[in-house]
Amino acid sequence: MKRFSQLAIPYVVWVILMILLPMLLILFYAFTTQGNEIVNFTFTFDHFIRFFTDHDFLLILWRSLVIAFKTTVICVLLGYPIAYFIARSSDRVRNILVLAITLPTWINMLVRTYSWIGLLSEGGILQNLFGLQDTELLYTEGAVLLGMVYNFIPFMILQINTSLCKMDSSLLEASADLGANKLQTFLRVTFPLSLSGVISGIALVFLPAVSSFFIPKLLGGGQFFLIGNVIENQFITVGEWNFGSAISMIMAVIMMLCMYLIRRVDEHNNGGRQKKA
Amino acid sequence: MKKLLASALVGALALGMTGCSGSGGQEREFEGQELHLYNWGEYMGENLISDFEEQTGATVNVDYFESNEQMYIKVANGESFDVLVPSDYMIERLIQEDLLQPLDKDKLTNLDQLSDGVMGLDYDPNNDYSIPYFWGTVGIVYDKTKVSEEDLEKEGYNIFLDTKYKGDIYLYDSERDSFMMALKALGYSMNTTNQDELNKAYDWLVQCVETMEPEIVTDEIIDNMAQGRKALGLIYSGDAAYVMSENEDMGFYMPETGTNLWSDAMVIPKNAENPELAHAFIDYVCNYDAAMDNSSYVGYTSPNEEVMNELSGEGGDFEGINAYIPRTGNDKDEVFKYDEQTRTIIAELFSKVKVAASNVQ
Repeated sequence: MKRFSQLAIPYVVWVILMILLPMLLILFYAFTTQGNEIVNFTFTFDHFIRFFTDHDFLLILWRSLVIAFKTTVICVLLGYPIAYFIARSSDRVRNILVLAITLPTWINMLVRTYSWIGLLSEGGILQNLFGLQDTELLYTEGAVLLGMVYNFIPFMILQINTSLCKMDSSLLEASADLGANKLQTFLRVTFPLSLSGVISGIALVFLPAVSSFFIPKLLGGGQFFLIGNVIENQFITVGEWNFGSAISMIMAVIMMLCMYLIRRVDEHNNGGRQKKA
Repeated sequence: MKKLLASALVGALALGMTGCSGSGGQEREFEGQELHLYNWGEYMGENLISDFEEQTGATVNVDYFESNEQMYIKVANGESFDVLVPSDYMIERLIQEDLLQPLDKDKLTNLDQLSDGVMGLDYDPNNDYSIPYFWGTVGIVYDKTKVSEEDLEKEGYNIFLDTKYKGDIYLYDSERDSFMMALKALGYSMNTTNQDELNKAYDWLVQCVETMEPEIVTDEIIDNMAQGRKALGLIYSGDAAYVMSENEDMGFYMPETGTNLWSDAMVIPKNAENPELAHAFIDYVCNYDAAMDNSSYVGYTSPNEEVMNELSGEGGDFEGINAYIPRTGNDKDEVFKYDEQTRTIIAELFSKVKVAASNVQ
């Protein structure tokens, strides 16, 4: 056993170098002043105070959460039926459909988002196709929402699909034997059992959606800032690494909270089912 | 027998080839050497590099940057380039931080071809370190069918606060250009370090984004204005020249309250590996053919006076397009000065302008 535990050393080193150290640096920057010089610094809470006392920043944070929430809801509503359909298909069809969902994710997200610019832009394909010459499609909240749903929905579909496929089909037969119709079976057997897939799908969609910065930048335009853009801006343009790190910390805490809540719901769900059984 | 013949043929061919390269033409000056160029994207004529390689025998490696700041980070971190093409204020910074080497003017034979208007600007008064590559101003591109010239003359940059044009304007997504506009609209110097004036400019911009529903874009403005999608936008003169050559409804106006006279220029960093070749390249770009290729292809104004006059003159690509010729002689026009403290303040304020713009929606 001891021999094997040594195999973990490279992994531990990797984690320290690639995850822990950067996180510690962010933490350090978030609580200090003095720009990028590590030699001279003083500890401070100013960056956090500044963020939480500024109405504008809080509003942006709120808007980011709202748009991530909307994205997640749409992904569940659209993703569930698709995943259900895929799970119920024959093996061959299912493999093809799963591949079709996965394939686009092999192409860089940035490239795929750029292609939406071409589709949505004024005088672009979509406007001409649907006779929407007078409606602005690009640089709207709708465009950002579309970009997010488009980029993140594969994660939702694949998660739900996996949990549906894992389900024991004898449960459905039992349900039918006991006289439940298809809707009842779905509501009382299939859906509750697939809920863990939905929940991990929600985690995989909501978290990247909250912090996404290039989708709003490309599809929302320079006047559409979400919290990810504020952070990017602090690092790239303003050069205020400390304030940028502080906002990153705040986001990290919010995300960990979300993860915690999501996991609690999941556990509660599993626990509840076991009690009934 | 056949084999023998074939090998004899090959041998003869090989001999012929070596003979050719030995005797054909005279030895090119920089045969086999390498030039590492760091330039803006979409900023060179189609044949510029290949012609230079042809003429000198050197190979040119080009890297592209999107912003002066991006370029600065690489150079400051010690990466070696032979020629850079930064903007005025960034050249000032590079000089201040001792990252450039003085040019050897004896090696530059084409300098007399350059316009006076672009030489000796404040960032490098004697052109000791830099030779202009392109130059121009910033102004307002407008749709003549939607915007009255009277409004422009009366209001200047304040036309961007005129609710008559609400929802019909582009702002440029750059803190320097946006603050230039706001400061000039208020009658201040664009190089002000006065916090009060900067705050007023900030208020001006916030009023603009809160009441005018602008779209804050970068290079999208070029194609979109060429297709006449909005009435007004803040734009670089070189881009305006392109827009106007594509769409004759478009005009270019420089407010009397002043604008930014800018220049991107070629410099040689201290750690350049081949300064000899770098000088040759700079000299080459100044000469008529290369400058013509550059300017007619990119659309920005050439520092080469003959090229500028020819392109804007009768039959030239930019005939009758006022945006092509930078304004000289208005003493309210300024060149950007580098000041790190003010830059940070402006960047911070502009980020708040964008936050405000987002929250209006």
